[in-house]
Amino acid sequence: MREIRLHGRGGQGVVTLAELLAKAAIKTGLEAQTLPFFGVERRGAAVKAAVRLDHTPIKIRSQSYQPGILVLMSENLLEIGLADGLADKAVIIANAEKPLPVAKQQWLLDAEKIAIRNNLVFGGEPFINVPMLGALCRVLDLPFSVLEETLKEQWSEDKALPNINAAREAYDTVWDAGVPKEEKSNE
Amino acid sequence: MTKVFDSGNVACALAVKDVGVDFVAAYPITPQTSVVEKIASYIAEGEMDAKYLPVESEHSALSAVAAASAVGARVFTATSSQGLLYMHEILHYAAGGRLPIVMANVNRAINMPWCLYVDHQDAVSQRDTGWIQLFAASNQEIYDSVILAYKVAEEVQIPVMVNYDGFLVSHSSMPFETLEQDKIREFLPALNPPWRLHPQWGGTFGNVTPSEEYVPYRYALTEDIKKAGDVIVRCSKEYERLTGRWHGGHFETYRPEGAEYFLFSMGSMGKEMEIAVDLLREQGIAAAGLRLRIFSPFPEEELAALLPTGAKLLVFDRNLVYGSAGGALLQLAKAALFNRRDSLQVIGISLGLGGEDLPASVLVAKAREMMEVCK
Repeated sequence: MREIRLHGRGGQGVVTLAELLAKAAIKTGLEAQTLPFFGVERRGAAVKAAVRLDHTPIKIRSQSYQPGILVLMSENLLEIGLADGLADKAVIIANAEKPLPVAKQQWLLDAEKIAIRNNLVFGGEPFINVPMLGALCRVLDLPFSVLEETLKEQWSEDKALPNINAAREAYDTVWDAGVPKEEKSNE
Repeated sequence: MTKVFDSGNVACALAVKDVGVDFVAAYPITPQTSVVEKIASYIAEGEMDAKYLPVESEHSALSAVAAASAVGARVFTATSSQGLLYMHEILHYAAGGRLPIVMANVNRAINMPWCLYVDHQDAVSQRDTGWIQLFAASNQEIYDSVILAYKVAEEVQIPVMVNYDGFLVSHSSMPFETLEQDKIREFLPALNPPWRLHPQWGGTFGNVTPSEEYVPYRYALTEDIKKAGDVIVRCSKEYERLTGRWHGGHFETYRPEGAEYFLFSMGSMGKEMEIAVDLLREQGIAAAGLRLRIFSPFPEEELAALLPTGAKLLVFDRNLVYGSAGGALLQLAKAALFNRRDSLQVIGISLGLGGEDLPASVLVAKAREMMEVCK
């Protein structure tokens, strides 16, 4: 089973991201489950959701503690993400320009810039959930065609197009930052 | 048959749309809200031909569907937690009135303190209201149980509550299949109640009764709800022949072959328990999962018949019976086995209250603690 945990903030579309990932994975023949965790629902509050993918129906009915992939919509969610637990060989996908100070395999992208370049700005804010989804599908080795089909089902053509373009750019440009050395805090 | 990937609440709303409900009255409450939002939207978009009555409280929601049911409409409402408690008085009215109402209850902890997450205290507190109570553990089982609930309610003339766990199932998306209209009609014909109120026919309903009329009426309800367990299983088998889908009868058993320890629970915990059973079997322990699907009527004889000689029943209650050791399932299981299977060991705990998370590792640890006590 592959388990992914997504950390974002209320209003960033984390739950939609989780649903779209699961729908794309199902198209490749996998079983899928999403489990969002709702705290006090306020715009800007930290939110999280789990996605589980497997070859057999998923029986888990509990939260995610050891995901193999941790997705951070913002680098300032690193501490929250780590505190909730990770698998030993977990990979982090983060919306960040520079590697995060943790000795884990990292894939990075500047999701805000991708959102702005592809006209995914609403109410003055870049919407980064679809760029993050594009990056996640790349790391999971899901074919882009499957993601494109999923996005076309989610939105009408004119709305789907900027999303497909943003997902494509993220899919192509998310980069492998390797395993940085953990930064030592000043003692 | 359409394949859908959506939440438990949407699975519930889709089933309500597909069975052809005439009347819905509801008051939104977390985590039930998206069920009634979705139904309101189906009706507003013309996808569902029903009347939706927004009301100011759950007491009014159930009162309205009870009245609509009494004039012969197929009705639905949904609630959670405090909303269900607020319905308590009308729960008795509905069951006493033998009204075939179907209601979804998205299980959530009870105040105070205030809590939004799952446990079964809301439903367990309504045990003695005369309702049939089913518990579903997956989105497919929710969809199928709502359809089954109408079939059963309309045959036995007793209201049915379909329970499923708040957030863990209600907000979790999983794949499920719907059912074609013609197959639903074959399974569930149009509602044709044996009696109904009508302004031109006169008559009253639920008027003051002397004890000689009241008593047989009450006994009829308890006799009929007792028989309803078998009706549920028969209808589930009929549904399986039509759809190929089976979630269990009174129970869903998991790996019962040669089992010594039966891990007994209900709701979503029962699905996670299957993983716990696999882990225990890997450790060389002969464990089996036993997930209760019908809380009321509690399947006393079936539980006694199911357990092999020397079995040990480990009961996991997501509720409390205050002041007793454990919860409602433990009490019911002990009562069922007393005089029937006195030699069996039964032990239980309450856990998972207020959304306390129950991953398989915790279930395994709790099972092992109980096994130590059994020795």
